[in-house]
Amino acid sequence: MFRQSRPPDPDQDLVTRAQQGDTRAFDALILKYGDKLYGLVYNMTSHKEDTHDLLQDIFARAYQSLGKFKGKSTFYTWIYQIAINMTLNFLKKRKRRTGISLSDPDTNVQQDPSMVDTTHEANPEQQSSINELQIKLNEALKKLSDPHRMVVTMFDIQGIPHAEIAKVLKVSEGTVRSRLHYAHLQLQSALQESWNERF
Amino acid sequence: MKPSVEQIENLLALKRDERPEEGYWQDFLCEFHHRQREEATAKSGLANLTDRISTWLSDLGPSKWAYGAGLAYATVTVAFFLTPRGAEIHNGPTTPVNYQVVPAPAPTVEQLEELDLSPSTQGSAGEQVF
Repeated sequence: MFRQSRPPDPDQDLVTRAQQGDTRAFDALILKYGDKLYGLVYNMTSHKEDTHDLLQDIFARAYQSLGKFKGKSTFYTWIYQIAINMTLNFLKKRKRRTGISLSDPDTNVQQDPSMVDTTHEANPEQQSSINELQIKLNEALKKLSDPHRMVVTMFDIQGIPHAEIAKVLKVSEGTVRSRLHYAHLQLQSALQESWNERF
Repeated sequence: MKPSVEQIENLLALKRDERPEEGYWQDFLCEFHHRQREEATAKSGLANLTDRISTWLSDLGPSKWAYGAGLAYATVTVAFFLTPRGAEIHNGPTTPVNYQVVPAPAPTVEQLEELDLSPSTQGSAGEQVF
């Protein structure tokens, strides 16, 4: 994803079929990229129902706009951009509507087992410590501002390079690095206490 | 002791493996198709209405221009009468001003007191002596 000199879009065939009205081809694209987009949206909204509704809207928007997709980027880059824009707009609207800030206490995400990774092999005691740290991490992530949370989600969780994040968010690479640095400092401070207890 | 940035990054990287629960995407696809069908139905309803209007207009033949001109004339007339004439000036609520005119103390008494009306000087205050 997001390479300067990219090879042909691996989804070209599916996209062409979907553009011709093949709904199964679009279903295949949803299944292929659903998890990645779910991770992006859920880490930003911290709310399962919101994530679900937003993903429905994102894929619907992509489906309706498929005719406008000319293949200047990969399909994944294109739909990822749609997801970012719609998520940021949604967060703005949600704040205006309810006055909810991500820094407000919300027990959804930090207690959500699906947000705590349990796939890594470790002894039970170590795993328990990691789980607790993950819960603290989720709490700390929620306290970051939307722009800081977005760069952390994209860089640290989704593994997207700085330059591509800058391009997608339409900011300079320096801004991305600066936001990331600040966010890491915030997370370090937030985890300090738990880290002392565990290690 | 604070965790290092690398440790934070490693902890965050664990979240890459997060997935929604089993069967989520099947339900998601069902709902997606349901929504798409509903939207298509709503759109086709609107498209039907548009088609019927355009068919009715084309069935009218040359007289459609007369109807069109009449409708345009009526629209302009209604717009003319409904357009407000200039901005109205609304006076705000008046604020009562407490102007109290305090009457100056009547100097008459003092002046009288100042006058020397004693018998010895009687006639010397303002009286002309011939």
